[in-house]
Amino acid sequence: MSASGREAVLARIKAALGNRLLTEAEAASIEKRMKSPPVGPRPGISGEAIEQFIAKAKGNLFTVERVVSLQLLVPAVKRLLEGVDGIPDISVAPALSHLGWPTDWDINVGPGRRIEPISVTPALAGIAETGSVILLSSSASPTSLNFLPDVHVVVLRASDIVGFAEDVWARLRSENVDWPRTVNIISGPSRTADVGGIVVRPAHGPKAVHIVLVDD
Amino acid sequence: MAIAGESFKSRASSALSDASLQTSIAGLKSGFVAARARAVAALPEFEAMRDAGAAIKDHTLAHLDVYLERYEREVVRQGGKVHWARDAEEARRIIREICAAAGARTVVKGKSMVSEEIDLNAALEADGLEVVESDAGEYIVQLAGEAPSHIVMPTIHKTTDDVADLFEDRHRAYGFMDRAKSAAELIGQVRTILREKYFAADVGITGANFLVAETGSNIIVTNEGNGDLTSTLARVHIVTAGIEKVVPTLNDASVLLRLLARSALGMEVTSYMTLSTGPRRADDLDGPEEYHVVLIDNGRTEMLGGAFQSMLRCIRCGACMNHCPVYLSVGGHSYGWVYPGPMGAVLTPMIAGHEKAKELPHACTLNGRCQQVCPVKIPLPDLLRRLRHQQWEQGFIDATTRWGISAWAWLAQRPKLYRAATGLAIPVLAWLGRSSGRFRSLPLASGWTAGRDMPAPQGETFHAQWARRARQK
Repeated sequence: MSASGREAVLARIKAALGNRLLTEAEAASIEKRMKSPPVGPRPGISGEAIEQFIAKAKGNLFTVERVVSLQLLVPAVKRLLEGVDGIPDISVAPALSHLGWPTDWDINVGPGRRIEPISVTPALAGIAETGSVILLSSSASPTSLNFLPDVHVVVLRASDIVGFAEDVWARLRSENVDWPRTVNIISGPSRTADVGGIVVRPAHGPKAVHIVLVDD
Repeated sequence: MAIAGESFKSRASSALSDASLQTSIAGLKSGFVAARARAVAALPEFEAMRDAGAAIKDHTLAHLDVYLERYEREVVRQGGKVHWARDAEEARRIIREICAAAGARTVVKGKSMVSEEIDLNAALEADGLEVVESDAGEYIVQLAGEAPSHIVMPTIHKTTDDVADLFEDRHRAYGFMDRAKSAAELIGQVRTILREKYFAADVGITGANFLVAETGSNIIVTNEGNGDLTSTLARVHIVTAGIEKVVPTLNDASVLLRLLARSALGMEVTSYMTLSTGPRRADDLDGPEEYHVVLIDNGRTEMLGGAFQSMLRCIRCGACMNHCPVYLSVGGHSYGWVYPGPMGAVLTPMIAGHEKAKELPHACTLNGRCQQVCPVKIPLPDLLRRLRHQQWEQGFIDATTRWGISAWAWLAQRPKLYRAATGLAIPVLAWLGRSSGRFRSLPLASGWTAGRDMPAPQGETFHAQWARRARQK
């Protein structure tokens, strides 16, 4: 029974730590630490967060395109598909399905498929420190669309770029959101060096990630 | 996995004469060591981060019960289940029961060192389940019937040709009839095969780099995306984690993630860092229907609160082995179990017992590089020295060595006698070796002279020279 395992492991831990009860001060300090978590040492950000984000994202082998409005997302995806034969077959996260996609395309609005040429999903935030994007799972943004496509298009609002991951955690705490099943911090295309130490892209996920940065 | 039967010495000897292994390890030395050095040099805050990382782990370990209970409460609040396992056997039983209850046939696994530690695959296969490793490196060693030789880079011992041979033989079953030559083609085969497995998987098992008490999340860090497809597409997601993986908050995890990528690969970040929390929500379009976490003790509470507690700070980055002259000479398989290198030389005796790993604490020159690069400042050389001491106390040292060390200690504690004995021995050895200036073999030192000659002494003892120079000043 795992119930007895639980009591046994906890008893072992307590015994190893001296079977000491927390003092009131200790309990209060743990409570405080949990409620307002301290921020550790972090690298500096050089210049504007958005400029560092773009530079770092490109360093991570993302491609980055700036557009002035979300209405320009569909034309941006059209340009990505130039030269592709046949009717475009793409997956769009429900959060972005209202943007006027061409009616003559095959558009899958839903979770990812076994063969998934291209998907378009929304990011919650961008992190300037590392040039990463953060994506949350929800009914409007299924996680499988972040990993199954050959090409992953991530839509990020410029105003959602922050310095550090801790800024995103603080935002989520303050908005008191229902915590999602999955939080993805993505910092590059899928890769591996497990054969002969040679870097190969992709491994299991997207071979390319294109960020459409929307100024707002 | 079971602990290898033969001795470290004999495995190390064959590793030293394995040309292909030596080539692979040389790449590790030049590649990852240099990459880590560059990443650290680019970050003035790195030392402060190491201190912060060690402090976070120490704080959590000092209140481990409190944080694990908080973590459990959050997992349950999000609809997940937490199971507690005292040892490997209990952990295997819990996971087998979850698989049985789910009516599982196919299990896909992301990389998890603790699942290697509890020898999970063999147990699931014995129940008739198909178990497929999805990390490309783990997939390769599984197909080869081998164990990983590095905790971050499981195939560091294999060349591209080795993998091409293996796939040519084993991938015909999937319709790949021609020999793939390049790394890209070989990985392409893995991608195609695994894509089907992810969709077929009933159960997806991943490890956890961290567990977050604040949110009840597990965090995995990968570059391939295999862990994400494993945990997203299977009906049931099981997380295996040692009890020491918990940290209080997301901010604490962020500090440790900065240390992990730089220390493991010399990179600022990996492609994917993923927090999974509970099963899919009611209106989610994908994600698992069930979420289980198996918290595994398996010897960890015996390190807690004692002289070895600092070992529980370990975040499994592999920097200690990448910088270890012994690991870099003999490779991971020589260590005989799941965890190689300096961290393995401590963990294996602590988890599996001294009697199963007698030689490991001695496979160390006490040069201290592991401690210098450890992102959470584990005093590995001190722990290894302490293990040697314990072995001596508990009688695990063989009679000849004990006699030799006792005799030397007796002599070394009597300075006059020691000087007289060495003062006599040195001229005698110098005279005996006068013709060639070296010895091809020496009594009681055949192990040393088997690989190289012993130079003959050229004159006085160190003590005599020191005294003479002091007089001359």
